[in-house]
Formats: sequence, C-alpha cells, structure tokens
Amino acid sequence: MQNTFIAKNPSVLWFLLGLSIFTVVVSILSEAAGTAFISTSFLKTLGKTLCLCLVAIAMDVVWGYCGILSLGHFAFFGIGGYAIGMWLMYDRTKDIVVSSLENNILPPTPEEITTAIGTQIFGVVGSTDFPVIWAFSHSLSLQLLAVVFVPGVLALVFGWLAFRSRVTGVYLSILTQAMTLALSLYFFQNDSGLRGNNGLSGLQNIPGLEAVSQATLSLWFFWASASALGAGYLLFAWMTSGKFGSVIRAIRDNEARVRFLGYHVESYKLFIFTITAMVAGVAGALYYPQAGIINPAEIAPIASIYLVVWVAIGGRGRLYGAVIGAAVVSLMSSWFTGGSAPDINLGIYTVKWTDWWLVLLGVTFVAVTLFFPKGIGGLFDLLARKEKQS
Amino acid sequence: MNTLFEVSGVSVSFDGFKAINNLSIQIGEPELRAIIGPNGAGKTTFMDIVTGKTKPDEGYVIWGEKSVSLLGMSESQIAQAGIGRKFQKPTVFEAQTVRENITMALKNPRRPFDLLFNRVATDTEDRVRAISDEIGLTDALEQTSGALSHGQKQWLEIGMLLAQDPRLLLVDEPAAGMSAVEREQTTDILVRAAKTRAVVVVEHDMDFIRRLNCKVTVLHQGSVLAEGSLDHVTKNQDVIDVYLGR
Repeated sequence: MQNTFIAKNPSVLWFLLGLSIFTVVVSILSEAAGTAFISTSFLKTLGKTLCLCLVAIAMDVVWGYCGILSLGHFAFFGIGGYAIGMWLMYDRTKDIVVSSLENNILPPTPEEITTAIGTQIFGVVGSTDFPVIWAFSHSLSLQLLAVVFVPGVLALVFGWLAFRSRVTGVYLSILTQAMTLALSLYFFQNDSGLRGNNGLSGLQNIPGLEAVSQATLSLWFFWASASALGAGYLLFAWMTSGKFGSVIRAIRDNEARVRFLGYHVESYKLFIFTITAMVAGVAGALYYPQAGIINPAEIAPIASIYLVVWVAIGGRGRLYGAVIGAAVVSLMSSWFTGGSAPDINLGIYTVKWTDWWLVLLGVTFVAVTLFFPKGIGGLFDLLARKEKQS
Repeated sequence: MNTLFEVSGVSVSFDGFKAINNLSIQIGEPELRAIIGPNGAGKTTFMDIVTGKTKPDEGYVIWGEKSVSLLGMSESQIAQAGIGRKFQKPTVFEAQTVRENITMALKNPRRPFDLLFNRVATDTEDRVRAISDEIGLTDALEQTSGALSHGQKQWLEIGMLLAQDPRLLLVDEPAAGMSAVEREQTTDILVRAAKTRAVVVVEHDMDFIRRLNCKVTVLHQGSVLAEGSLDHVTKNQDVIDVYLGR
C-alpha cells in the first residue's frame, strides 16, 4: 500500500529528497560540524523556519483542502510552545535553585526548594505559588503529552461547538479569531499563571544538556524540526490523497452536497481541525526552544493571519505550496526587518525596510490574491503544463 | 408494489407563506413518479422536507418497512437510510475527476476512519465502471468534472445518485438545459433505474413527462391537486385551470 501511495504521489518523494539534501548541506556548513559557514543564530533561524513550514502545511490542510479558514492555528502553535516551555523553565530553575541551596548548613526541605523555584519563576508577576496548570511541569513526558493534547482537546471542544451549530465561512473565521484573541489576552494576565507579558524565557537552555554547546544543540533541534516537517508532510500527503482527501476537498467546495451524499460533514471537519491543531502544537514545541522565549504577543491574532498570508502566497491546496510560502515569506521577513536589507534613498524620502516591509508584504498578498490565486506553487502547474505541451 | 415512503398531512410555512399545505403523497417500490406543478407549487420544498433540509411544522414523513420517521434525522442519516437527491442545478464537485466524484458517492462505510484506513470494498473499480457505463461517461472517467458539458454533468450527478444505491431517488428537473438527444438518454436512465427502486422526478417539461410514461402528481399551492396517468390529469378541469390553461 505504501508503494502505491508513493507511486501515486511522486511529489512527496521529491519533497522528502529535497528536505534531506537541505538538512545534510546545512549540517555540513554548520558551526557544530566545524565549517561554520552557517552561524548558530542563522541555523536557529533555519530550524525555526522548518517549524513554521510545519504549521503552514497544517494550515493548508485545514484551509486549502477542507476550506475552514481558521484564524486560530497559531494559537495552537503557541500553546505547544508554552507546554514545552513550562518544563524547560521548571527543570532548569530547579537545577539552579538546588545548586545554590547546596551550600546551606541545613539541607533544604522539599518545600523550601519548591518555594524557591516558585519565587524564581513567578517573582516577576509578584507571586511565589505554583498555579494549578504547572502541576505537571516537573515531568518532561507529561508536558510532551500536553504539547499534543492541550491544543487537540481545545480544538476538539471548540470545533465541536462551532461545527455542530453549522457555523461556516467568515463567521467561523471570526469565531476562531475571537478564540485566539481571548487566549492571548488571558495569557497576558499576570495571574494567568504563565508569567503574563514576560512569557517564558531561557528556553534555549535544555536541562541536563548544559555541557552541550548551543551550536550542537541548535543542530539537534534543526534535525528534529526537519524530521517533524518530513513526518508531517508524509502524514498530510497521505491524508489528502485517496478518498478521504476527495471528501474533504468536496466539503470545501460544496458542504451541503456532501451531506446529501450521506457523509457526516461535521465529523470530517472536526477530525481535520483537531489533527492539524495537534500538529501545530508539535511545531510550536520545536520552535520555541530555538527561539529561546515565548510570550503572549506570539499568539496574538495577527500571527494566525500571517499564517494565512504564507499559505495564500505559497499556494493553498498543495502542501509544497505552503512550505514554499512559509519559508520564503518568513525568511524574507527576518531579512527585511533584521536591518540587513539596504535602505533605498529616494532623495526626498528614504525607504527603510524595517518600516516598509509590512507594506511590501501587504501589496504582495493583494497582488497574489488578485493575479495568482494559486500562489507560488501554481507556477509549478504552469511549468508542468508547458513541459507537457512541448 | 409495497409502499416505501409516505408523506402525510405535512405543512410548512416560511414567514407566514404556506409553501406546503397539508400535503400527502405515497410512493411505492419500485415506482416511477412524476411531480409537476407551476412555480411556487412546493415541489422543491417537498424535496427539502424529505431529505431533511427543511423541517415541517406539522405532519409525518414515514419511511421503509419499519415505518421510521425521517423528521428527526439529519441530512447525512437520511442519505444513508437510502434517499438520494439530485439538485436542480447540477452540483458535481467540479475540481475533481469523474472517477473521484463517483467513488465518493459509492455505497460504502462513510466515517472518517473508514476512509483513512481504506476500509472500503475491493470491488470499487468494477462498481465505478458499471456506473460510468450506465451514464455513458466511461471515456471521461479521468477528466475533471468541471470540464464536462451541462448534460454530462447532469448525468454524472444521476450516476452519483445511482452509486449511492438508494431505494428512493429524488430527481429535480433532470432535463433542464438538455438537447433532445440528451433528454432521450436521460429518460432511459431514469426508466431503467425505476425498475428496481422508487424514482420521483420533478419536471416542468410535459414532453419529458410523457416519455417517462408513469403516474403523475400535480401540485398546486402546496397540496395535491390531482393524481393519475398523464392523460387523466391533463383532462382534469382544475389542472387545466391552474396549470395548463396558462
């Protein structure tokens, strides 16, 4: 069965091949390999970009294939980041606290240690107590489960309520955006238990791996991100091919008709919404240790809108399109806003790209929507057609 | 001929306008039935009620040997119970191939996991082939259905209905926009289908109805005005007044 799947979808093989070559080349050029053509910070950017590509293909499945314009998938991404961040921060703070209390004459009691960790973590928001949601933060495996299941359960409950009431189209988008806004506003609260607008920081330090240099750690995370993207691509390519894919594309094009064919449309939407939310959570959990910090601004509605823009520019309804869109736009975004893009002096006015990048992005988005509705990925169709003709 | 399906005393109103008024219709199995009536007679609303799109204010819709009520069921449950519907405007999934359209409609387990893990029958290819032969689209199986002609889309939709293997087929204006030759083929497909199941055809076109050669129900203002053979109803004075006379 696997063979026929690959045979029917040769683009999957090309994608995996390309991703592997990219990973090997980047690894050889990295600092950890000794060549150091690629700085550790740029390696992190590349690793983060792979995570963004992963959440973008999830977005593409939910929007480009199933027609649910969710403005909440970056929130699921952020929740994944928070879930892993809680363990990272707890465990590292514990190590620091334990080693600083070691020199006391009396050995510290467990309560003292807990209070000291609490003070360290929650001091910035004027608290020392562990909130309930940190109950599992001592356990890596439980927090890893949370990475997948917190976004999953949230999407399941939210989706069940929304789809059951047959909320569709722009109303559903508004609803998901409201959810995202509510979440980010809640996370901004000091008493939300997630350190308010300070967010979680120091996530680049992995407890137990202090001896490993950041150069090596970054390479490991890069590999993990590449593997996750490859696995996610394979999963979604498998899901969207075959009869299941046929049904979800049909739901996108005419939901009512699919219902009269006897399919329970709501189950399909809920399944897609939930599984993509879970993948988004995984992408977030890989992204934030490379970013080092997460705060509620990351999950503000604008982030989810950027996700839509990436998928639209890359070409929705095709997985590689989402990867191209996310990679191109996010890398260009960090190039333009990072100050490395040369300013354009027009004599009377100097175009500073840090200010004008968003304008450029906006214009590109409008132009793509109007003139290339299939996005960058659509160019491949044109090429393939030309090849066939000649 | 057993009664497969019965609508009795059904009324529904939209904003005070009575679209269906105390309507009662019985359909047997197998049977071919034509429903005619002027615009606004309630033909489409009747189909909406049967397929679960519209809930009636009062009355019963009873189905099958066990006489289950269809009123509490969702669209997808009704479809799975064995009622297929063809819409007035051909609604096939234009972005997908003819094969994909038919495969989707084939009677198979329909839950997400059934599809994902391919728990579907192994005779798919044969069944798709049989349907496409029936509707004359075998040569177009790999074609995107958006590229089909209007008439071919209508056939594909009828084919998708047949693929569902329903016991009752509701067909809304199948001949609309078809050429004379296409109409003839459509008649053949419907008459063949009605040999083993119930087929209800809503149509404006009298010549088309005549060719179907079946029992006719005339609707007017949401209720049955006359019922019987086409010759019988066309001689009915009421029918002449409200419909044919105009």
